Amino acid sequence: MIARDRNWLLIFATCVALAIIYPFFAGGYQLTVIRDALIFGLFAASLDFFWGRTGILCFGHAAFFGIGGYIMALVTLNDAIPFGSLLGIMGAVAGAAFVAAIIGYFLFFGGIRGSYFTIVTLAMGVICQQAAVSWSSVTGGDSGLIGIPPIEFDLGGLHVDLSQDLPSYIFVSAIVAMTVLALWLISRGRWGTVLTAIQDNEIRAAALGHNAPLRLLVTFVLSAAIAGLAGALYVCMAGLVAPDLSGLLLSTEVIVWVAVGGRGTLLGPVLGAIFIQRAQQTISSFNPSLWPLLLGCVFVIIVFVLPDGILSIYARLKGLFKGRRRAQ
Amino acid sequence: MSDILLQAENVGIRFGGLQALEALNLTVRDKELCCIIGPNGAGKSTFLNVLTGTLRPTSGSVRFLGHDSAGLPLHRIARLGIARKFQIPSVFPNLSVEDNLKVARWGAPSPVRPVGELLELVALGNRAATLAGELAHGQKQWLEIGMALAIEPRLLLLDEPTAGMTPQETLATAQMLLRLKGEFSIVAVEHDIRFVRALNCETLVLHQGRRLRSGPFHDIESDEMVRDVYLGRR
Amino acid sequence: MDFLITTLLNALTLISILMLVGLGLAISFGLMNVTNLAHGEFVTVGAFAVYFVQSIGGSFWLGLAAAPIAGAVVGCILEFAIIRHLYSRPVSTVLATWGVSLILQQGLELTFGLGAKPVTPPIEGTLDLVFTVYPAYRLILIGIAMLTLLGVILLISRTPFGLDIRTVIQNREMAEGVGINTRRTYAIAFTFGAAIAGLAGGLVAPLAIVLPQMGVNYLANAFFVVIVGGVGSIGGLVAGSVFVGGLTSILNYQISPSLAQAIVLLAAIVAVRLRPNGLFNGASR
Repeated sequence: MIARDRNWLLIFATCVALAIIYPFFAGGYQLTVIRDALIFGLFAASLDFFWGRTGILCFGHAAFFGIGGYIMALVTLNDAIPFGSLLGIMGAVAGAAFVAAIIGYFLFFGGIRGSYFTIVTLAMGVICQQAAVSWSSVTGGDSGLIGIPPIEFDLGGLHVDLSQDLPSYIFVSAIVAMTVLALWLISRGRWGTVLTAIQDNEIRAAALGHNAPLRLLVTFVLSAAIAGLAGALYVCMAGLVAPDLSGLLLSTEVIVWVAVGGRGTLLGPVLGAIFIQRAQQTISSFNPSLWPLLLGCVFVIIVFVLPDGILSIYARLKGLFKGRRRAQ
Repeated sequence: MSDILLQAENVGIRFGGLQALEALNLTVRDKELCCIIGPNGAGKSTFLNVLTGTLRPTSGSVRFLGHDSAGLPLHRIARLGIARKFQIPSVFPNLSVEDNLKVARWGAPSPVRPVGELLELVALGNRAATLAGELAHGQKQWLEIGMALAIEPRLLLLDEPTAGMTPQETLATAQMLLRLKGEFSIVAVEHDIRFVRALNCETLVLHQGRRLRSGPFHDIESDEMVRDVYLGRR
Repeated sequence: MDFLITTLLNALTLISILMLVGLGLAISFGLMNVTNLAHGEFVTVGAFAVYFVQSIGGSFWLGLAAAPIAGAVVGCILEFAIIRHLYSRPVSTVLATWGVSLILQQGLELTFGLGAKPVTPPIEGTLDLVFTVYPAYRLILIGIAMLTLLGVILLISRTPFGLDIRTVIQNREMAEGVGINTRRTYAIAFTFGAAIAGLAGGLVAPLAIVLPQMGVNYLANAFFVVIVGGVGSIGGLVAGSVFVGGLTSILNYQISPSLAQAIVLLAAIVAVRLRPNGLFNGASR
């Protein structure tokens, strides 16, 4: 247990160190590529926080990413609202959390778990994307909203302006690192332990005095809030928001990032997001409709060959060597 | 009469056309130990479900500290001070023994016993870091008793605590309970006569959903009718 | 008056389709506990079968006969290759069947190209129903759907295979004990559900926009039918279809389709909260 914590912190520190030295070797464009990938990594970590700790799969997590993105866009594009960037981020987080709270309340307190939850969230994702397309007077319809300004605010005498590549990269990296560390601390502490207990045997946990539906709800809301934050960050960096950001394909991709990176590790999904997006860009440059096809294959392969993610290859090899040594 | 913790009066349960329980009475005083025995199908588990409030009786009433607990959510029942050990060992297999006990303590309104003491009480001091799923069957049962203790109950309800145990483990379990006697009330449902003999306490004998006999165990044991029921002559 | 009848018939069309799509899902999700996210693709495959037969000069009716066969073939392959290996791993089933769904969608797109596929109905024109005039094909659709449902009820309640299915569903171990090959029964039941969904796809093809991605909407709605109606009975299936289909049809007149969908979703969630075992089985817990 303690060795596992130490390993995690070691990998985390290595990643942070790599993120710090990266700007010394990379140009502006490469920085923005990694920056955007990191935002999706944050999104993946938010799904993993819920799925990894509760074992319940949310199949419409992009809905929260999209809600965050649209709220951020609408707030910052409205000149009448002062402190656009800060209020936008707060509104994005609160909006995603609010939707998750309503849906989660009915589902968790209604005793909906497992596959039922997956399906209802799947439908939620479909509907969010449709709403984004058809409510065009607000969302801009199929083409979305463009011209979203970069994040800029003053906080306690500190002026933050993320219109340049390097500051935005540093800002995003710092937020991702802090959030992942915080989520890790939560999930290895009391909160996460009780969640594991609920996942193992919810009735037993309840018989010990734990309010399981409430705990699942709060976890889901927190997960959605972080997804909303990621959405808000993304639209400011990209400068535009479109219905795809709340769509089924993104919901699907984030599941792959988590599954490939290793469910329940929080760090794995971030790395999974970065690497798979690199692969996606390369493959899509040949033929755009090839990517969903490959994505489908990846799903099937994960299930049958690598149920514990890519990092499990290392663990398996280690186990193999250990087994061999013992055999000798 | 203020030391009455749990009082079941004239409890009856009907499942459709089947009268599962009929006119049962049970009074558990504070810090008292008692057993409910009976052959398979006598209605022991059903009666226990009524006592914990998970099943609402179709007639009669159950009051815990004067309150009606029927139909409350599980976690509320636990917070009233009723702990329950299920018949099938239900520990959290993916958590360590220590974490299992921690989770139990966190659920309690005011836990007293530290985890270390709980570990010693249920004889699992040297297995603290083991995943609960890897424990032997008897040890899982003990861990579950430990988890029930962790919530500092007023009343501990045990559903066949020795099911599947070896004779030695059964005896050790009885001794464990005798050590705890006097700290809170314990109601154990059993069909293993050796275990009940080792506890030697007030005993209620059920047969086909009705009270057959009740009284101190040594009186019960010598009762002709009880022997008949257990040997299947009736 | 005629407006009312038209709305009613529109609702009946949607309800019929939902019942057929939901039937397969009620078997796999409700009874076998398999969450098959590729179920919508059975509908797509059925619709494409009709398009394909028409495009090589065949009649609509020939295409409609090919639709359930296409659904059955895809369903059978899916069961053999993937689902039967994952009965004990629910989350893996979700992921793998979603993968298959993506592969099928892109496979169809690569084979048949981008864009909506035209399918012509066998009968154009309308029928005068005294109170209202209504498209003739829709009436045929409702009729075929009802006949199919009746056939399924008879199949399950009157034939030896239906008895096998009912036995396996009630107690798998017991069924194995009395010599029923549960694996085969599951495979046949799953394939059967896929075939009915394929038939639904074929029926709906002249009315819908035939696209490789068309299955997702049917998937979500069919799941609602099963969840809201409750699993395990034809009555639940009908109740769920009437709830989802009826509500959608009524709302579609008042507001935009996507808002209507959102409201149906919310209503379904609330219904499930109030009646966790489904509308039909709500009384007993």
